[in-house]
Amino acid sequence: MKYRFIWLFIVLLCSVATFGQITVKGTVKDKGNVPIPGVNVAVKGTATTGATDFDGNFTISVPSNNAQIEFSFIGFANKTVAVGDKTVLNITLEESSQVLDEIVVVGYAAVKKSDVTSSISSIKGKELQTMTVGNVAESLQGKVAGVQVTGQGGPGAQPRVLIRGISTVNLSTDPLYVIDGIPMGTSINFLSNNEIESMEVLKDASASAIYGSRASNGVILITTKKGKAGKTRFNFDMSSGMQIMNNPYNMANAQSYATIINKAYNNSGYADYLPNPSQYNGKTTDWWKAGIKSGAPVTNASLGVSGGSDTHTYSISLNYYNSESIYEVGGWERITMRINNDFKFSDKFSAGITLNPRYETWGAPNNWADFDKIDPITPIYKPADQLTGLENEYSIYARSPSYVWNPVAAVKRYDDFTDQYNLNTNGYLQYQPIKGLVIRTQASIEVGDKTQSIFKPDFVIDAAHEKAEINSVERTNTTNVDWTWQNTATYTRSFAGKHNASLMIGNTMEEYNGNDLWGYGEGVPNNSEEMREVNAATKNRNSKGNSWSNSLMSYISRFSYNYDNKYYFTGTFRRDGSSKFMTNNKWANFPSASVSWRILNEGFMEPAKEVLSDLRFRAGWGKVGNQGLPAAVYQSNIGQGFYPIGGIIADTSFPSSMANKDIKWETVEDISFGLDFGFWKNKLSGSLEYYQKKTNDMLFKKQFPTYSGFPDYSTIWTNVGSMQSSGIDLLVSYKDKKGDFSYGVDVTFTTVNVEMLSLSSEGERLYGAGNRTLTVKGEQPGYFYGYVADGLFQNQTQLNAHTDEHGTKLQPYAQVGDIRFKDVNGDGKIDDKDRTKIGSPWADYNVGLNLTFAYKQFDLVANFYSSIGNDIVNENIKDLYNGASLTNKVSGLEQMAWHGEGTSNYVPRLSKDDNNENFTKFSSFYVEDGSFVRMKNLQFGFSFYNKFGLDKLRISLSGQNLWTWTKYTGVDPEVAGGDEKKDDRVKGSGFGGWNYPVQPTILMGLNVAF
Amino acid sequence: MKKNVFLFFLAVFAVLTGCQNNESGFPSSDNPTVVVSTKEIYGAPSRKFEIKAALADDLGLQSVRIQIPELALDKVIAFATDPLLTKYDLSYFFEVPANKGTSEAFKIKLTITDVSGNAIDEEINLRLDGEFAAPSITMITPKEGAVILLSTSNKMPVNFVVNDDSGIDYIQIQCAALGIDEKVQLTDAPQSYSFSKIYTLPVTADNYVLTITAKDKFAIPNTGTLNVNVVATNEYPAIYLCDQPKGTNLTTDAVGVPMYFHDKNGQDFEFKYYTDKDNKEIYFLGQESDFAPHCFGLNPLGELVDDVASTPIILPTKGYYVIKVNPNTLKYTATKYTPSSKVWADVANGLWHDEEAKRKPFVSVCGAGIQGADWDTWTAWAQTGLHLANNPNNPYQLVGEYTLTGTMEATFTGQWWSPSWRLIKNGIATMSPGENGNGKYPAAPGVYKVVLDTELERVFITKK
Repeated sequence: MKYRFIWLFIVLLCSVATFGQITVKGTVKDKGNVPIPGVNVAVKGTATTGATDFDGNFTISVPSNNAQIEFSFIGFANKTVAVGDKTVLNITLEESSQVLDEIVVVGYAAVKKSDVTSSISSIKGKELQTMTVGNVAESLQGKVAGVQVTGQGGPGAQPRVLIRGISTVNLSTDPLYVIDGIPMGTSINFLSNNEIESMEVLKDASASAIYGSRASNGVILITTKKGKAGKTRFNFDMSSGMQIMNNPYNMANAQSYATIINKAYNNSGYADYLPNPSQYNGKTTDWWKAGIKSGAPVTNASLGVSGGSDTHTYSISLNYYNSESIYEVGGWERITMRINNDFKFSDKFSAGITLNPRYETWGAPNNWADFDKIDPITPIYKPADQLTGLENEYSIYARSPSYVWNPVAAVKRYDDFTDQYNLNTNGYLQYQPIKGLVIRTQASIEVGDKTQSIFKPDFVIDAAHEKAEINSVERTNTTNVDWTWQNTATYTRSFAGKHNASLMIGNTMEEYNGNDLWGYGEGVPNNSEEMREVNAATKNRNSKGNSWSNSLMSYISRFSYNYDNKYYFTGTFRRDGSSKFMTNNKWANFPSASVSWRILNEGFMEPAKEVLSDLRFRAGWGKVGNQGLPAAVYQSNIGQGFYPIGGIIADTSFPSSMANKDIKWETVEDISFGLDFGFWKNKLSGSLEYYQKKTNDMLFKKQFPTYSGFPDYSTIWTNVGSMQSSGIDLLVSYKDKKGDFSYGVDVTFTTVNVEMLSLSSEGERLYGAGNRTLTVKGEQPGYFYGYVADGLFQNQTQLNAHTDEHGTKLQPYAQVGDIRFKDVNGDGKIDDKDRTKIGSPWADYNVGLNLTFAYKQFDLVANFYSSIGNDIVNENIKDLYNGASLTNKVSGLEQMAWHGEGTSNYVPRLSKDDNNENFTKFSSFYVEDGSFVRMKNLQFGFSFYNKFGLDKLRISLSGQNLWTWTKYTGVDPEVAGGDEKKDDRVKGSGFGGWNYPVQPTILMGLNVAF
Repeated sequence: MKKNVFLFFLAVFAVLTGCQNNESGFPSSDNPTVVVSTKEIYGAPSRKFEIKAALADDLGLQSVRIQIPELALDKVIAFATDPLLTKYDLSYFFEVPANKGTSEAFKIKLTITDVSGNAIDEEINLRLDGEFAAPSITMITPKEGAVILLSTSNKMPVNFVVNDDSGIDYIQIQCAALGIDEKVQLTDAPQSYSFSKIYTLPVTADNYVLTITAKDKFAIPNTGTLNVNVVATNEYPAIYLCDQPKGTNLTTDAVGVPMYFHDKNGQDFEFKYYTDKDNKEIYFLGQESDFAPHCFGLNPLGELVDDVASTPIILPTKGYYVIKVNPNTLKYTATKYTPSSKVWADVANGLWHDEEAKRKPFVSVCGAGIQGADWDTWTAWAQTGLHLANNPNNPYQLVGEYTLTGTMEATFTGQWWSPSWRLIKNGIATMSPGENGNGKYPAAPGVYKVVLDTELERVFITKK
């Protein structure tokens, strides 16, 4: 009885609550009379919202006849309808042809896409979120013309992003990332793709010059998701799956290995190294299986809530990413949160604050190559008769005669992990004292703490060469505090009906501070987990610490003007003062100017408007800089080293680098021309752009001449040389809908030509990658430089003919089956002078193909990316095809390698001694066509609308990197730059070794909105 | 119809004519010419022969092709055409494969092409029965490095034998310092000839080089030359201790036989020597490579004499001796002693270790001309076949067996040159820190017995 009373009370309350409300029903369709599911239906001025179901039907309650209902859906123009006395509304939404009204972020401002005069590509967060990646930049691959992304496998790996090629040889080539207006450096590993609302790529200098001294590699502006007025909405997005790690090579088994090695020995005149190979039949050690997981789980999840009112909007997201390593230990885990609040205190005064706490932890072995390289005869563990019982747990592993350290043991010993905590706080205040004038101040502070802990246990696998007699422990703690403060005032006004102008002026200040502390010790009493602390070390305690700081102060301005929405002009000016440079060059100016002509708005184009929906011509010019050199190159430094003086080893000091007080930024000046077009209400749209950029005052680390008295390794940074890159970006996009079926095709096409215009002196030759690349005037930087391998000597006649004009053999140690090196200069000798250009790491062009299909509740996304015309040095040949070492070889090598006339013209005969230097001479033998086409993503989804009490439920199945076509025989054709520590970032590009492959991944996805 | 047929053929003709292309791009010219230096070339297996010819063309040479199909030779030498080359002296060497027989003969085909496309062929006979060995000269006296003690005699007997398969044309003896230039023209080209003559030396001590030349009578004559260094002295520069029986070839060792003295004061020479058995027989030699002319042994009265016919000195018991000898006074003493230098025991159980305290000494070798060795002490450790072992009968001797591949250099070493003995000149193995400069020792390839005597600081590497 009591319950019945309560029940009646609730019903009564509900009745009261709904008293006076009007229920409006209806259907939303497109022009083709096809229902549109998922349309957002909102009662204007209230928090009441809803959405259409699969048949386009909706039901919503409005407070009165005066209410207005707003219908919105991506790809369609918003429509607001007054309810009046209607209770049924049948709505037809117009497809939005006015993409030009989309808002684009341009750096310290946001403008309508139609007003953009420079080269900016925009991509929505939703397009990026179709892939599950650790670094969002990887999702950009193939989606933006002019942007080349080279993927890097492995948890936490950062892809290489090049915007319109390269403009430097020695400094960083990574673009500057700006998140919600705050420059965040050259990596966005910390950012989840679920946090992103949109990304804008500023490709030319007229767009990026507003970022001045850090913009020469382009700028990527990222806008994170913000709350929208309306009811509280929840989103849960999750994808989870497996990254597949297949062995890229079919390695020889024990018997086959013995046969191959014996063959190499016999061919060099030695007896069998492993007599009677058949004795090893069935005794293969499967190293790969013992240490490499076939699949590593990956998960990307995000829980978000957003909503708000006219005066306050909020958005909170919790994001989780986890990618396990392919080993039994290690991986990368990231948990981030983004809490955003925007307040509108009055028509004139608004503010906002975003908090972004983050936690990351990573660390994984990187010795997967050793699982292939170690010989297959050595067992994983020492045989019982070699164990004394006194060994520790890390000393029970067997030693390989191949000199490859036991990889299973190495993984077992691995203990090198880093934890990082960051908190970014970004807030703004905005004041609009009069119409058209906006004064804004924005500040951000980023606090970070990173701790790397390493423990190396003691072990003795082989007393001679595979051991650590004493364990060691070390910990490095790095703290950074960076802050940014920027102030702008923007005045926008239209006058005389046709003149529209906007002027922004402002200033920014940035400071980056850091310090680190390193502690080290040896002789921890035992290797237990609990003892892995520096305090437990009993010997050789050591410590180091340092601090650093650099800052940048800038003045910025932008003036935009258009006449009658036909003729546009934008000019920007930035003046940067950097702590990295001394008084003479502390300040530099970075101007830009760009114009645009909206041809379609001309009167004479009226007849064409039936077909054309957009036609614009753009031209831009600008100057940007690269200050990405170490912070204190204006200082002279003293190095330390041990040298024998009078027979005694002395601890000495020497001048290691000298100050250059005149050092200044690399300056890139570029011009760009573009044509934007759209046909048939932008069903077909695109843009074609040409650019040319020239880098001056390039920064090189130069050695002193010998007569100066400085040691060879004493260097000085100097501004010398120039280079130029040019190319074409093309984007063509087609979207259409036929009944329930809609589809879209995007094609991006990118070409880059890079050429060195001058170096520090005429005829200078800059070598890289261990003298295997050359950079000279008039050529691409870092092209592969070596001998030309002209096939193999197939018979004695060919061998005998390889002489100079007097019969002297060009390769005196060659035998049939060895590589014939070409006497390029025809001087009758094979020597250094015969090295020549044998390939280029730079692609002729990159093509992206992005397909979207939808039919009723089904949707399909497919992304393809290709790189055409680049070469790759396959360094693994040296291990896998070379009989001179005892490392394992590819299965069947004895048949692949030359073993008689006509059996191979590529893999030379097996040889223990390699007297002909088939493998030690760097030649075109190593250079392979690196072109590839890769299916980056294939995703199949099915959506429910207004089912199960949810606005939307989507489940998806996707595969990433499932298919790759390439002639490259190495691990993975996505090969990026060289070792930065050796200044080989650019000069060492295109060397494919045992790089961690971009792994095929299978994922299940779930997206829920309610 | 006829008109159409005519037009068709006209068109075909026009096309064909249009397609004709003078590929060379040069005007027509006369044939090239070739003048070979000989129509018959002698070769031999494993030996290079030379093809010589003068090529010419009035306009320009394009290429010459040299072919001997049976010997897998098909070489094309292409000439630059800018500027055009009208003359070329061909000089091309080619080695006859080792598996060919000396009775075989082949045709060498030369094809010379000019830039106009004219080509001519020329053939040369190649015979493999050529004789290319220079006459062999075998010195009897004086041997290389011979010492002539002027206080005893200033006569230098020169005796040698010359042999050659194709017959000897002449022999010649020259020594400018002694004013000797004697040529003996032989008749009927004998295959063997013995020379014997005594020359008189001036009384002043000096070093002389005797040059002996012999030329054979083959179609392409071969000449052999031998230089013999002779020391004419009033004092012995060195005395050697020889523990080999007389008649033994003293040049088959790589180093150490006979043994160079340890110390010298005027003509007082001092040796330290280990005898590995009782009643060991030794001699003192005035030169390194032969028992003649100065061999110091005992006469029937038991006195030291310089006589090739002398009998050996007997060291009565096994062990280390200090032996002093004066070749002028003909006095010697042999005194047994007990060494006190460090004993490098248990080197067979050596251990490479980064930490010095845990290291155990091993003794291996770094060097050149020794199979498996290089100049890296890690290689010396890793190549266990190069490790020396303790001689169970003498703690001061480390022994082993090496395969030598040619001229040898060696430093016997442990980990990172500790300990190490550098093999310098005269078979001296100086222990670190010792003298600089590794000695180079020519050695015939083969397996050698190695003895490093750490007490004597000497190395003995003898053919096994």
